[in-house]
Amino acid sequence: MADDYRPGSREDFDRLYQVAYPRVYRTLTALLSDPAAAEDCAQDAFVQAYRAWSRWRPNAPAEAWVHRIAVNRAISYRRTAKLRTVGEVMRRLGRPAPSPDPADEASRSDLLTALRALPPKLAAAIVLRHYHGYNNREIAAALGVSERTIGTRLRQAGERLRRELEPGFPLDAVAALQAENRETYAKD
Amino acid sequence: MPKIDPDGLHPTLIARLRAELNRVRPPQNQPRYLRAGAPTHPWRFAPIALAIAFTGILALTAFAATGSPNPAVWTNRVETVINPPSPSPESESTPTETQQQAVPAPPPAHKPTAQPTQRAEPSDSPEHESPEPGDGRSGTSSTASSSRSGNPPGDH
Repeated sequence: MADDYRPGSREDFDRLYQVAYPRVYRTLTALLSDPAAAEDCAQDAFVQAYRAWSRWRPNAPAEAWVHRIAVNRAISYRRTAKLRTVGEVMRRLGRPAPSPDPADEASRSDLLTALRALPPKLAAAIVLRHYHGYNNREIAAALGVSERTIGTRLRQAGERLRRELEPGFPLDAVAALQAENRETYAKD
Repeated sequence: MPKIDPDGLHPTLIARLRAELNRVRPPQNQPRYLRAGAPTHPWRFAPIALAIAFTGILALTAFAATGSPNPAVWTNRVETVINPPSPSPESESTPTETQQQAVPAPPPAHKPTAQPTQRAEPSDSPEHESPEPGDGRSGTSSTASSSRSGNPPGDH
C-alpha cells in the first residue's frame, strides 16, 4: 500500500488525503472532545504532511505517517486546551456554568468520553489497534516508539477503560479470560 | 463466553468503539493544504544562499584588492583594469623624457637662469647684442651683415 505513493507527487497526496482524511479525523475525534478542534488538527496535520511530502520515505506507510503528525497535533492541542480551560474557570468564578449544547450531548457517548479522558497516547494506541486494525509493530512505527511501549500502553488503556465503563466487571475475571484466550490461541 | 483481546479490551467495547467511530462523519470542507502552496523542497533556498555567498566573497575580494570599502572605488578599479586609458604618444613619451631629463637637468638649468640676472642691463634691447657692422670681431658676422645690405665692402 505504501508503495503506491510517490514522495512529492501532488496527485498521490490528493489520493492519500481522500483515503486517509476520514480515518485520521475519526482518530482525532476519539482523542479530542471538540469536533471543530478535531477537524482543525486533522487539516493542520495534512498541511504539515503536504509540506514535508517530498521528504516522506516509503519505508513506512503514508497513512501511519500522517497519523503520527495528527496525534502529535492533538497532544499539543490538548495541552493548550487545558491551559485555556483553567483560564475560563478563573474567569467564570462565581458565575453559573453555561448549559451544555444539546447537540453536543447527543453526539457524545460514554465510550468516546472515556477515551477522551485517557492520555492521548493511550487513546491513540487503542484507536489505531482496535478501530484501524494496525498491529503493534505498525502502531510503533506510526507513533515512533517501541513495540513493547505500545503493548504497555494498550494494557494500561484497556484497564482504565474497563474501570471507567464496567465498574462492576472484576479484574480477576478479565485476567482469567485472558489466560483462557492465550490457551485458545496456543491451540490454534 | 466472549473472547477478550490479548491487549485486554473486551470485544463488546471493541464493537462499540467501531460502531461509534463509524457514525462519525468527517466534514467535507476544502482541504486546507490546497491553500498552503507548493510543497517545500529542501534545496529551494540553495540558489539564494549561493548568490549571497558569491556576493560576499566578491565584496571581500574587492575590498582586499582595493583596500577600500567604497564600491565606487571598486568599480573605478575594475574600469581601469578592464578598459585602461588609451595611451597617446605625446602623453606617454613626454613624462618619460621629462622624468629622465629631470635628474640631470637642474645643474644646467640653474646656470642660464643665473647669467641673465647678471646681465640684466644689456638684455633690455637684444638688438644691441648683435655686433655692429664692421666691428671686426668676427668675420662671419661681417659677412652676414654685408650680405644683408647687399653691398659687399670690396665693391666700393
